[in-house]
Amino acid sequence: MADVVLAEGYRPPPTVQGTWFAWLRDNLFSTWINTLLTFGALYIVYFAVSGVWAWGITNAVWEAENRRVCFDILAERAQEQGVDELTGACWAGVISWFDSFIVGRYPRGEMWRINLGGLLLVVWMVPIWLPGVRDKIYVGFSTVFLYPFLGFYLFAGGEKGLFLQVMMSLAIVVLIGNTLNGYHGVRTGRSLPAVVIAGLGMKASSDKKQRNTLLAIFAAAFALAFWAQMDWALVSVEWNLWGGLFLTLVISGIGIAFALPGGIVLAMGRRSQLPVIRILCTGFIEVFRSVPLITILFMATTMFPLFLPEGFTLNKLVQVIVAVCLFNACYMAEVVRAGLQAIPRGQYEAAMAMGLGYWKMMGLIIMPQALKFMIPNIVGNFIGLLKDTTLVSIIGLFDILNMLKAVSQDVPWRGLHKEPLVVGAALFFIICFAMSKYSRHLEETLGGGTQR
Amino acid sequence: MATSDSSLVKSQPKSSVSFLYDERVRNFFYQTLTAGTFAWLVWYLFTNTAHNLEVRGMNSGFGFLFQTAGFDTDFKLIEYTVGTGTYGRIFFVGVLNTLFVSVFAIVASTVIGFFMGVMRLSTNWLISRLALTYVEILRNVPLLIQIIFWYLGVFALLPKVKQSADFLGIAFLNNRGLYVPSAVPGDLFWMTMTAFVIAVVAAFMIRRWARRRQEQTGQQFPSFWAGLGVIVALPGVVYLATGMPLSWDIAALEGFNYQGGFALPPAFLALLVSLTIYHSAHMAEAVRAGILSVSKGQTEAANALGLRPGRVMRLVIIPQAMLAIVPPMISTWMNVVKNSSLAVAIGYSDVVALFMQTSLNQSGYAIEIVAITMLFYMTISLTISFFMNIYNKRVQLRER
Repeated sequence: MADVVLAEGYRPPPTVQGTWFAWLRDNLFSTWINTLLTFGALYIVYFAVSGVWAWGITNAVWEAENRRVCFDILAERAQEQGVDELTGACWAGVISWFDSFIVGRYPRGEMWRINLGGLLLVVWMVPIWLPGVRDKIYVGFSTVFLYPFLGFYLFAGGEKGLFLQVMMSLAIVVLIGNTLNGYHGVRTGRSLPAVVIAGLGMKASSDKKQRNTLLAIFAAAFALAFWAQMDWALVSVEWNLWGGLFLTLVISGIGIAFALPGGIVLAMGRRSQLPVIRILCTGFIEVFRSVPLITILFMATTMFPLFLPEGFTLNKLVQVIVAVCLFNACYMAEVVRAGLQAIPRGQYEAAMAMGLGYWKMMGLIIMPQALKFMIPNIVGNFIGLLKDTTLVSIIGLFDILNMLKAVSQDVPWRGLHKEPLVVGAALFFIICFAMSKYSRHLEETLGGGTQR
Repeated sequence: MATSDSSLVKSQPKSSVSFLYDERVRNFFYQTLTAGTFAWLVWYLFTNTAHNLEVRGMNSGFGFLFQTAGFDTDFKLIEYTVGTGTYGRIFFVGVLNTLFVSVFAIVASTVIGFFMGVMRLSTNWLISRLALTYVEILRNVPLLIQIIFWYLGVFALLPKVKQSADFLGIAFLNNRGLYVPSAVPGDLFWMTMTAFVIAVVAAFMIRRWARRRQEQTGQQFPSFWAGLGVIVALPGVVYLATGMPLSWDIAALEGFNYQGGFALPPAFLALLVSLTIYHSAHMAEAVRAGILSVSKGQTEAANALGLRPGRVMRLVIIPQAMLAIVPPMISTWMNVVKNSSLAVAIGYSDVVALFMQTSLNQSGYAIEIVAITMLFYMTISLTISFFMNIYNKRVQLRER
């Protein structure tokens, strides 16, 4: 440090910097206006927090048979404390209805099926987030294309046709393979096929032999799964008994799974050079984007029955899902299109210089960049889709919002509006906020390539 | 559309390629295939629909718009009487109600949104956190839940008519809604209105003149205060000179309810409040992103020129930030109009509730009604995006 030359009159930096006191001074009390604002804001915070705290925690009634009892308890407490009136939440009603918020009118004896279905979905998707797991893209694809069959049978039950049986067996095999793949990936960083080949001592064999062995193992596993699932029989639960958060997640889950591929196709169609395709796609996107979702839901429930051939009916749930999928594909199309527009022309030219055709160019070069670029908007769309799913309550599906509203129609809890709605709002807030935080995290981890 | 993805593929030399691989042949084939599939789909749906309508004995055509509708609405801005009012009339009642709530919500959410967006960027940590909490909570809770919360949890729980909240004896709030005075213009009131229009035009001219003079000579002119003065003074003088031809009809308690005045039902208030605060959060984000999009160098340069912070904001930052704020702001406005359709959940008589729900259930003309309603929303969207395109073009020209 001998080389450091200090100017004349040099003084060491003020030590107060970086302490909490300096932080307070810089961020809260820098000028007298700021000081005033700080105290104003503190008052608002105190007012809001103390009000909510008193209503929701200190004055709240957690155990009661009905709303009358809630009021009586509050009146009693008010007398004890010597005040005229106490307002407090009646959480007892929410607690007794909580299962209904989650699964609606689904038979309580069969609720384990929903729990199991949710658990399987989590198990299925966990490898995506684990470090060291190979072939994550297939995990994602299988979640979208195979899990729905397994989930559908778990939730709906009843008769299963041959197609459903095949798909279910496939889903079971893939789920097990997926989990093992994740396990080995975390432990050794190798994929499941590599582990199997090594375990059989076939590392030296030819590629073809290795592949055939793996296929044989897969076929055997499939046969075993098929045989195992043959005598499973779940009681049928009609779609009109589905409800609550479960139904909301089913509708928005299918919507999300469809929106991205549908949006990609529409966006590519809109940017196509072929006029017929471009005009059709543009018209479709613009029509669906310029009208509110509720009009499309009304259209689905009133016009779809007229469109279909006589004797062929769709139930309301399917109508709604179709409407939600189309609506969201159009919104996603615009997001994807914006991403495509942000890709510099040089990327296209480079891809073509490599000799790639249109589909390979889009699939391998352009789309991955465009989608990565648009992650925040895509997740934002997903959040919007989840929030918009509450609209199905207007056309009479028993989604979470209708269950929240149903509490106040229940005789013991007549008139209990606020508490269920607050709980529902909190549930949505947690889900949506977590999603948006996660998207920001994704953006940071995946965006590394664009920052040089 | 800057580049077309396949335009680049096409520009290959058209030498000796086989017929199957000829780009033009392929394009023709794909387009014919798509058009054919689409035409077949339309035909298929059309025949199905025609058949279904016939089997169910349903009528079609737009004649029903001139039939009388047999139901009433609690909130209307134009005359409508049960028994003589037609479905067409009902449609206009609904359209006006939709636009009525949308306009108020747009203005209010824009003002609050700007305020919140600026607060979000405050150097005061507490203030910016407060604004952040506001934005995050409102954006992450579905609008429909908010609407129903405001309706069932707030406006339906207001005091009964007898215990109305009284605002200075001119407005009254109770569980049947908000009663505000309604203006009753007298004979000569049109003169005041004319004077007002003239004053607005005059203020605009003053502003233009002042700006031109400042650009030429550097002399400043307080055009804002002058304009405001003209807008207040001219109509004021005319109003007084013509003998104050405007009276207010104030609601009064008669029997069990308030009579007179202008009654805004609780559903309207709930919808207005929830639309306003929900979209103000989105607006705040747009404003914040817009202001952040202006590079820091602009602030520093303005500071270096010796401008005070208020002027830096007003003369340098805001004009540039507006370029980035306006497009998302307009799309938020469009969302306000679209989301006002959620009124159907709480029974505010907007176009969806009156026309698409009640009229459809009563008359059964599903296709026509759905088409008309969608056309209405599409007209609004297209109008707004038309103006937005004009604005974007103007802005782009000015930019470089």
